[in-house]
Amino acid sequence: MEPGLSIESGSAIRVAVLPVGGPIPPPRLREYASLVARHARVDLASLRTYYAEHQKSPFAHQPWETGCLRLKFVLGGCVPSPWEDFQSSRKVLAVIGICHLPSSSDLDRVAADFVDAARSYPSALANRCFAFCPTDAQLAGKKRDDIIMLPPSDQQSLELHMLTMIQDLAASLLMEFEKWVLRAESTGTILKTPLDSQSSLGSEEVIKAKKRRLGRAQKIIGDYCLLAGSPVDANAHYTTAIELARLTGDVFWHAGALEGSVCALVVDRMGQSDPVLEDEVKYRYYTIIQLYRRATLQDNAQRVSPVSFELEAALKLARYLCRRELAKEVSDLLMGAADGAKALIDASDRLILYIEIARLFGALGYKRKAAFFSRQVAQLYLQQDNAYAAMSAMQVLTMTTNAYHVQSRKTSKMNHDSFKEHRASNTDSGKVHPQSIVSLFESQWSTLQMVVLREILMSSIRAADPLSSWSAAARLLRSFYPLITPAGQSGLASSLANSADKLPTGTRCADPCLPFIRLHSFPLHPSQRDIVKRNPHKKEWWTGAGPSGPFIYTPFSKAGASGTSKQEVSWIVGEPVQVMVELANPCSFDLVVESIYLSVHSGNFDAFPVSVRLPPNTSKLVLLSGIPTQVGQILIPGCIVHCFGVITEHLFKEVDCLLLGAAQGLVLSDPFRCCGSSKFKSVNFPSISVVPPLPLLVANVVGGDGSILLYEGEIRDVLITLTNAGTVPVEEANIALSGKNQDSVISIAHSTWKSALPIKPGGEVTFAVTLKAWHLSSADLEADGNRSPANSRRIAREGINPFLDIHYAGPAANPENGHVSLPPGRRLVVPLNICVVQGMRLVRARLLSMEIPARFTQAHLRPVSDKDGISTGNDTEPTDTNLLKIDPYKGSWGLRLLELELFNPTDVVFDVDVAVNLDDTDVDQKVISEVNAADAACHKTRIDRDYSARVLIPLENFKLPVLDASFFVKESGSDEPLGSRAAAIAERNAKAELNASINNLISKIKVKWYSGRNSSGELNIKDAIQAALQASIMDILLPDPLTFSFKLALNRAVTNVDSSKDSGNLFSHSNDGNVAHTGNVLRCKDPISAHEMTHMEVQIRNNTKEIIRMNLSISCKDVAGQNCFDENSATVLWAGILSEIHLEVPPLQEVAHPFSMYFLVPGDYSLQASSVIIDATDVLRARAKAESPDEPILCRGSPFHIRVIGTA
Amino acid sequence: MASTACFVIVSKNDIPIYEAEVGSAPKQKEDLAYQHQFILHAALDVVQDLAWTTNAMFLKSVDRFNDLVVSVYVTAGHTRFMLLHDSRSEDGIKSFFQEVHELYIKIFLNPLYLPGSRITSSHFDTKVRALARKYL
Repeated sequence: MEPGLSIESGSAIRVAVLPVGGPIPPPRLREYASLVARHARVDLASLRTYYAEHQKSPFAHQPWETGCLRLKFVLGGCVPSPWEDFQSSRKVLAVIGICHLPSSSDLDRVAADFVDAARSYPSALANRCFAFCPTDAQLAGKKRDDIIMLPPSDQQSLELHMLTMIQDLAASLLMEFEKWVLRAESTGTILKTPLDSQSSLGSEEVIKAKKRRLGRAQKIIGDYCLLAGSPVDANAHYTTAIELARLTGDVFWHAGALEGSVCALVVDRMGQSDPVLEDEVKYRYYTIIQLYRRATLQDNAQRVSPVSFELEAALKLARYLCRRELAKEVSDLLMGAADGAKALIDASDRLILYIEIARLFGALGYKRKAAFFSRQVAQLYLQQDNAYAAMSAMQVLTMTTNAYHVQSRKTSKMNHDSFKEHRASNTDSGKVHPQSIVSLFESQWSTLQMVVLREILMSSIRAADPLSSWSAAARLLRSFYPLITPAGQSGLASSLANSADKLPTGTRCADPCLPFIRLHSFPLHPSQRDIVKRNPHKKEWWTGAGPSGPFIYTPFSKAGASGTSKQEVSWIVGEPVQVMVELANPCSFDLVVESIYLSVHSGNFDAFPVSVRLPPNTSKLVLLSGIPTQVGQILIPGCIVHCFGVITEHLFKEVDCLLLGAAQGLVLSDPFRCCGSSKFKSVNFPSISVVPPLPLLVANVVGGDGSILLYEGEIRDVLITLTNAGTVPVEEANIALSGKNQDSVISIAHSTWKSALPIKPGGEVTFAVTLKAWHLSSADLEADGNRSPANSRRIAREGINPFLDIHYAGPAANPENGHVSLPPGRRLVVPLNICVVQGMRLVRARLLSMEIPARFTQAHLRPVSDKDGISTGNDTEPTDTNLLKIDPYKGSWGLRLLELELFNPTDVVFDVDVAVNLDDTDVDQKVISEVNAADAACHKTRIDRDYSARVLIPLENFKLPVLDASFFVKESGSDEPLGSRAAAIAERNAKAELNASINNLISKIKVKWYSGRNSSGELNIKDAIQAALQASIMDILLPDPLTFSFKLALNRAVTNVDSSKDSGNLFSHSNDGNVAHTGNVLRCKDPISAHEMTHMEVQIRNNTKEIIRMNLSISCKDVAGQNCFDENSATVLWAGILSEIHLEVPPLQEVAHPFSMYFLVPGDYSLQASSVIIDATDVLRARAKAESPDEPILCRGSPFHIRVIGTA
Repeated sequence: MASTACFVIVSKNDIPIYEAEVGSAPKQKEDLAYQHQFILHAALDVVQDLAWTTNAMFLKSVDRFNDLVVSVYVTAGHTRFMLLHDSRSEDGIKSFFQEVHELYIKIFLNPLYLPGSRITSSHFDTKVRALARKYL
């Protein structure tokens, strides 16, 4: 059988093209052969010049204007067929030698070679030997007839030259055909086929053969007519031959003649598609097939079977009919032909048959059928045991891969591109349509795919093509690992390694192997996350760029921004970026990925390779990094992997599709899930654009980036260093606060960093941020309590820290066409990792109202009260109970202390300071007392760990300067229900004022603590104080209606009240408003000498807004508490009025009452003034908390201590 | 029962979702089993054209290779039941296909079955093999 037969092939002149002389380099040979082969059709019209009619041509109807000769060039020649007498087109009618002269210098040898080669084709009617690329010497040499030299020239002239040569050849062939036909017509020839050879013995057969000879001769003449391009003549001869063959019962030749006639018909009507013609051809060919079959049956006994002619006829018809509409008929014909394969004895015949069937099915569009027969071909090739056959098998199998959907990515590149576009349009719309995913996995017949790949692998190993075998093994392993046993997987791995050994290093293969790689996430580098588009219309360009407000979605945000689900990422030239990918090795062997890096086709990215080792059945997350190098778009379709010795590109999309297919149950297994990885989630690759370099600020908290450990209420300065790590200066910046606990940042040194702008690349600025630790809530404390005491340091919790939002930007780009383009700005978020630990704890705050006895005896007290005849209103107890009785005289002096009980649960020592800011003067006066002592020199209270301490704060100095009726509005309101609106407003105002003054009071008290060298802070005690003071706030705030003070007059002339302060400070004076008193007991600083007249005066100040009339009395008591102004005692002499002094003090003014004393006995004395207010107003009564309106109101000043020295 | 028979259900996406060697012949070599599937796969081309020329579900024998014949039954959802066999009892094959179709519909009605995915039910497998013994 012969390949490539068609109905028209009967009209083609077979020309053998043989390389002669020395070896010709394959590309040269291919070039020369194609030069020859392009002239497969030679028009008769063009032959005129070369054609000389020697006798009258037997081809009477030759169409000189339209006809042509068809040449069929067979490179390398062919084995002479035993059937060449039967069909002249099988004969080699001409021989062309091709010689490459540079490789064979001896022209004589070339000529001899060519003669030798041509000798094996005895049927050849014309020979030509073409020699290419002659040297000048060869050209100059004697012109030879047997070798035609084609001088080196350009392609065009070479082609022209060759055309001439071929036309000459064709003309001489035509003349030979004429000669042959004339001879055959006159003499007749003996024509035999292998069918006849054995049966030539019998006489009967000889007679039969004689009869048949004429018919056979007519058939052959017809053949030559066809070859000579004269179908009409041929048809006439064929008709005669058919008649004769039918008469003689020469079935085989009958069929042959019929075939020839169809060929003549088709050639004559070449280019016309005519249903009538088609029916005619079909009809005649079915007859031909029948006849051949009959001939086969007839000659069944013989060894040589003409069955191949039957099959050839079927193939020819199939090829003629091969159209989509006639698919059924054609496939029936081809299936019939395929059935005939069994009858073919020669394996190569079967090979050709299958090849032809496969080609025809392919032409019909039956890809799977074609693939099936191609595979049959490959199997036949594989039965031959040589490398060339294996190579052919591999190539044939490679052609089938499309039908079985196991094609290498290299060959499917074209499809892939269109598919990619399809995908791209899909992804743009947001999601992949499930239907398109299904279509990806269409026709995945895994059993067959595996077999085909395995056969490709086998044949490529046999054909010694390591790249193909690597690719096949890779495809097999990647696609079908779940169907391959662990042993098989290891086998594939080793064949991969073996193939790689034979390949040069750095070989690339289009087909990826393991591992499976998918995009896991896009861990944005903090610097990337902070690129903020600048709003050119706003000064605060960062606003509006990010989501504002607490809502995830706001309807006011830009419609365009919310519409696209695809996020956009900006990368910056020169700043490293990272992409997280997940690798999976679902196979049972250790996978060593020598290197893996991101594959970027846009060429503006430097990727950094990493190497990974994946144990069996594992997956791993790998961070791949790189640096963008140029401005532009970056597309990362996948990764480049160097594994098993070959470099491959793994596309993310493919794995995504695979995983989607697995989710739909279309693919065998999900490589990631079988490695125990998490569920598949599709990661959209954001569109990445690379922007020009931006400044890059890096923030450092001086002293380490760990959390700042602060005790509750601690105030500390934190230094933050900003360094510009970019290549562009920072020209503008803004620092704002965000996050929780913003009030813990007290101040930011804005001026410091502002003065450092612009920050040049590499420059840095350090500024301070003052922090104040917040207070832990009770829940925090409980959580703290659950911890082991050893680990009392808390871990800073997420989300409770304030952030510094630093927006900064580089310079605007160079103005182009008057339009300034703003590069994006950036945001740096500096978390202030504050870890608040529990500091000193306020256990309790309470108000202590206490009385300092001032060394008065009980006995001494009594007569005073008795004498005054006053029944103390509040005191239900008799006055003689004890000295520490609180407030024996209503409204008189009393000592109120705020006691704070502090506990130190930490493991450090705290020093506590209480500062009282009086009014606005900011004069810190430390009035702190230790637990009991009242030593002003020792300011600090030290509290050791796990100890508690009490701190006392005197509350004397908070009194308001004026005792006003407004404070009692509420009470008065309740007494007499006015109900008027004005009163209500007044009441409200008063209340607000009161509250303000209470807050003012509380804020004046600050408890500061120090610990270690640099920890200091404030205790938050406001609430506690407020609670403690709630009950008796009035008593603390409101001044007594009258204040008394004693003053030592140096001489009688000095009466100026204020001069005491200026002139020597002999006495401290109380209730001056601005100056607090240093002790609870007033004392005269300098001792007074005995036996000397001492001039003194008592000053009474009215703190109300009304005139107060009163009866003043002054008493003096010695250490024993005896009244010294008694008539009986002789320790003190006095001058002036000391009791029942009637005084009238104008509002807010002072009145002084002078007196003199003469101490007889040295010692300690106390002076005390007291007065009974006459006609007390409601205000005074309310202040004194009098119960009945008749009750006398009594005021008493603080005792005044005098030390008298001298000798008795 | 036929000595060689290979039954395959091909989904409408041309993916085999069920495969069974149901011949009574002793277990063949793997190569042959593959060859059966190759023949069935190739027959899909013919079925693809033939299915639209008739409204019968049973397409009778549509293709052959050597002695083996491919009979095909196409469901309404264009799922194809393909049987490669060497026996010629067309009626038996038709009954076999019809019964398998019922089984297939039951599988299809299972809400947990993803249409187009592989049929892994062992119950289905047993039933199909029983039917093959009965009819082929």
